[in-house]
Amino acid sequence: MIDSKPMCLAESLNGALRELMDDDDSVVLVGQDIGRLGGVFRVTKGLQERFGTDRVRDAILAESSIVGQAIGMSLSGLKPVCEIQFEGFIYPGMNQIITQAAKMTTRWNDDIALNLVIRVPVGGGIRAVEHHSESNEAYFAHTPGLKVAFPSSPTDAAAMLKYSTSAGSPVIFFEPKRLYWKRRQQPRELLEPATPLSARIVRRGSDITVVGFGAVLEDVLAAADQVASTADVEVVDLRWVAPMDVDTVLDSVARTGRLLVVHEAIGFSGVGAEVIATVAEHGFHHLKGPMRRLAAPRRIYPPADYEKHYLTGVPEIASTIEEMCA
Amino acid sequence: MDITGHDGSRLLDVHTPVDAETQRAMLRHMLIARGIDEEAGLLENQGALDLWLSCRGQEAAQVGSAMAIGDEAVIFPSYREHAVAVVRGIDAVSLAAQWAGRTFCGWNPCVHRFFPYTLVLAAQTLHAVGYAIGQRLQNITENVVVYVGDGATSEGDMSEALNLAAVESAPVLFICQNNGWAISKPSHEQMRTSIGERANGFGVRSWSVSADDPDSTYLACLEARRYVERSASPGLIELRTTRIGGHTTTDPHASYREPDELAAAIANDPVVKYRDTLVTLDVVDDEWLDAVDAEVAAARHGLIEAFAS
Repeated sequence: MIDSKPMCLAESLNGALRELMDDDDSVVLVGQDIGRLGGVFRVTKGLQERFGTDRVRDAILAESSIVGQAIGMSLSGLKPVCEIQFEGFIYPGMNQIITQAAKMTTRWNDDIALNLVIRVPVGGGIRAVEHHSESNEAYFAHTPGLKVAFPSSPTDAAAMLKYSTSAGSPVIFFEPKRLYWKRRQQPRELLEPATPLSARIVRRGSDITVVGFGAVLEDVLAAADQVASTADVEVVDLRWVAPMDVDTVLDSVARTGRLLVVHEAIGFSGVGAEVIATVAEHGFHHLKGPMRRLAAPRRIYPPADYEKHYLTGVPEIASTIEEMCA
Repeated sequence: MDITGHDGSRLLDVHTPVDAETQRAMLRHMLIARGIDEEAGLLENQGALDLWLSCRGQEAAQVGSAMAIGDEAVIFPSYREHAVAVVRGIDAVSLAAQWAGRTFCGWNPCVHRFFPYTLVLAAQTLHAVGYAIGQRLQNITENVVVYVGDGATSEGDMSEALNLAAVESAPVLFICQNNGWAISKPSHEQMRTSIGERANGFGVRSWSVSADDPDSTYLACLEARRYVERSASPGLIELRTTRIGGHTTTDPHASYREPDELAAAIANDPVVKYRDTLVTLDVVDDEWLDAVDAEVAAARHGLIEAFAS
C-alpha cells in the first residue's frame, strides 16, 4: 500500500488539531500568533475562527509563560497544545519544560495525568536565519519525564499528535519544517506501528538497516531507491526518539546484520549515538560490519548559503550504504 | 484596621475585628507549626532529616494569610509554607517526608488543595495563572493563591506571571512573603522598587502590610482575597515578615546577619507574642493551651517515631 494522500504536514496537523478540538472540549491551543494569523507556518489556520479565542489563544511573547501556563491549565483538567514558534526560541521556556513539566507527575506521586503537548517546528534546509534551523531533540530525549515525537510524514504526524494530546505526560512534538509544505513523498510501506509509541519499518530490505526520523527519512528512502540494484535496504522510521523503540531496530538488525543511523542533528551525543550504543550492547552478535552514523558535525548551524554542505544529503547516504554493503 | 492599596486608595472596608474562634484557630495552627518546625530542626541535627527549611518567624504571615483565603482556594506554595500546610490539615510526618528523602511530596495535593512545593523559584507562579485561566475556561469558579518569597520575585517567571495574570485578568492572589533575606542577600540589595510597585507596573493591584501579627495579616489578606474575587482580576499582597532561622538547617546565617537584627527578630517572635496577646485578652485559657500543647507534643512525637526510630 502506498501513502497516496496529497496532504502536506502543515495541512495534516491542521486537520488533526481540528478533529481533536471537535471531539474534545478540553483541548486548547496556546502559542504566539496562532490565532489571528494561524501560526507563522499556518498550522493553526482557521482554528480560531472555528473554535474561538478562548480555545485558540494567541499567547503573549514569552515562552516560559506559554509552557508555564500550559502546565497550570493541564493541572486544571485541560489538554493544552502549545506552539513554540521555532525550536531556537524554546530555550526561555526550557526551565518550565525540564524542571516542571517533565517532573510534575512524579512530584505528584503519579496521582495525576499531565496532558501537555509542546509543538516545535524543527530543522533546517529552508534557508532560514540564525536560530531557525537547528535540531536539538537530544536535549529533550535526555530528560526523563518527556516523550519526544519526531514524525516523518503527514499522516503519521496526525496520528502521533492525536496520541500525544492525551498521553498523560508531556510530549515535545517536533515538526520538521521542510515537510510543512512538501506534498511529494517517497513511497513507503504502511505497516502500522505495533503500538502508538513503536518505531515502524517503512521499507523492507535484507542487506542493511537504516534508521532515521523526521525530514531526513525522505532522503534515506530516496537513497535506498538509488542503491536498490546493489543493496536491499530496510528503513526504520524511529518516530519517537523518547521513549525509543530499540526492539524494532534490534529485530531489523538481526535480519540485515548492518546498521546505519542518519539524523539531521549533530552526531556528538546525539540520538544516533544512543541507537548505535544500544545495538552494540544488545545486538553485536548480529553485526556483519561496523555500524555507522551520518549526522551533522559539532559545529554551529551555518548561514543559509552553507547549509547544504552542513546537512547530510542523499548522495552521502547512498554512498555510505554502498560502502557498508560492499 | 485600615488597608490601602499601593496607590493609596481604600479598597473595601474590613473593619470587622477578628472573631475569637478564628483567633484561637490561628494560634493553634501557629503553635503546631512551631512545634513541627522545632522538632524537624532537631531531627535534622541528628541526621534523621536531610534538610529542613524553617518557617520560624513567618507563622503569623502564613497562618493569617492561609486562614483568610479559606479552605476552598487552591494553593500553589513555594517551599517554606509549612504553617500554611498545617492550616490545610497536613500532618507533621507528611510535611517532613520530603526532607527525609522519602518522596517529593508527602501529602495528597488534591485532598488538601495544597499543591507540591516548588523548589525552582517562581516557576509555580505561572502554573497558578494558567490554572486560573483553565478553571475559567471550564466555567469553574475557584480561588487560586500562589505563594512566593522576596528573592523569587527577581526571577523572570515572576514578571511573566504578573504580566500574564494582568493581561488575562486571571483571578490569582499572589502572596509574597518578604522575610528580608534571599539566603544571604538582603531584600534591599535584591530590588530597587518594592514588590508592590512592580506589581502595579504590570497592572496588578497590590498591598503591602506588616505581617508579624496574625490578626492584621488575616484582615489584610481577606481584603485582598475579596478584591480578587469581586474584580475577577489578579492581586498581590506583600507580607513583610521575619526569618528568625537560617535559610535552611545548613545555613550559618549568624555569619552574615548583624547581631542586633537577629536579636530583634528573635525578640519579635510572632508566636510568643500572639500567645501572650490571646492570654491577656482571655481568648484562650490554660485548659485550652494545655490541650493544644498536647496536640503539639503528639505531632512532635509522631515525627520522632517516623524519622528517628
